[in-house]
Amino acid sequence: MFKDKHKSDMPSFASGETIIAQGVRVEGEFHSQGDVVIDGEVAGSVETQSALTVGESAKIHADVKAKSAVVAGEVVGNIFTEEMLELLATSHVKGDIVTGRISVAAGAQVNGKVSMGEEGKGGKVKKVDEEEIIT
Amino acid sequence: MYCYLYDEYIQENKRFERELLKIENRLTDLGIAGKVTRLALFRDAEEMIRDEIDRGVSTIVVVGNDETVRKVIDVVADNEVVLGIIPIGPNNELARMMGIPDGVAACDVLSARRVEKIDVGTVNGRRFVTGLSMPNFHAEITCEDKFRVTSVARQAELEIRNLADVTDPRDGQFEAVIRAAVKKGWGIFGKTSLKESVLPLKSMAIRSEKPISLFVDGEEMKSTRFDIGIEPLLLRVITGKARVF
Repeated sequence: MFKDKHKSDMPSFASGETIIAQGVRVEGEFHSQGDVVIDGEVAGSVETQSALTVGESAKIHADVKAKSAVVAGEVVGNIFTEEMLELLATSHVKGDIVTGRISVAAGAQVNGKVSMGEEGKGGKVKKVDEEEIIT
Repeated sequence: MYCYLYDEYIQENKRFERELLKIENRLTDLGIAGKVTRLALFRDAEEMIRDEIDRGVSTIVVVGNDETVRKVIDVVADNEVVLGIIPIGPNNELARMMGIPDGVAACDVLSARRVEKIDVGTVNGRRFVTGLSMPNFHAEITCEDKFRVTSVARQAELEIRNLADVTDPRDGQFEAVIRAAVKKGWGIFGKTSLKESVLPLKSMAIRSEKPISLFVDGEEMKSTRFDIGIEPLLLRVITGKARVF
């Protein structure tokens, strides 16, 4: 069924890294301590204490919490990142965002409230003082 | 005190006679010769080893292959003795990953006695060292009682890795790897590629309505439910410098 020639196409990964690739669906409370890469489908909640990468083919219907995140796919749910959130041109986000810093590429779609800086660090939005968008 | 456990296939096959003689001579030269116990069709390997441990043996050296190790893994892990391997013949993947060379060269690795503690996996109460595989994966996985994982691809295979070239068998967890065949494009222009998902876990359960096959260190098990876990740093093994972890 699977030949060796496919192995060269596979991504190399560091130990402890979680990869949810295309062709796989995850449902429930997905919590991790290491880096997480999502290219497949996730429903429920996603939480990691490290970096999260959401690939172009990813479909996430969940609240997302991470130290930092790069999003290129679809996220329907709130995003909370302690440090940097990078929304690439192909990203679609439907939900509120709370983050330390943000970078939004031209073409990225965001439908929701964005809260940033010190106010956002606690995970709750009290008051939006400043909104910084770097493109 | 060392005890050497010769597998049945080594005694039956004449082509290993000369190699065995060389090994025995080298072990004597190195001062680590010990009692030789031979496996046979109606002799229980676990009982034989338990008797030797009662007599004061602290190191069990398997002279054979992965299958020989599988026969003794439970009793070795339960009794906190050290496991050594002298690989002979084919099917010696475990020894390779532990950095133990084939045949007589393994004696020097034994003599150097670099002991490492490694994790041991369990499936339905049965232990495994390297991993499990499910070539035709169409079941549901429940991971650590928190989330479920399913394959949405037509074809997929599942592999559980404890000791492999890319995993550390001392980290207290195993890796569940799902390889799904995903088609991109339409009709005859579509190309299928393998996408690999990797989940580091401490426990998982596989459930299916129909009985499914799971290969444990190469041996087949059939069931509708498999409970997989890990026993951290349970097994003490002698490893070589060329080990993969």
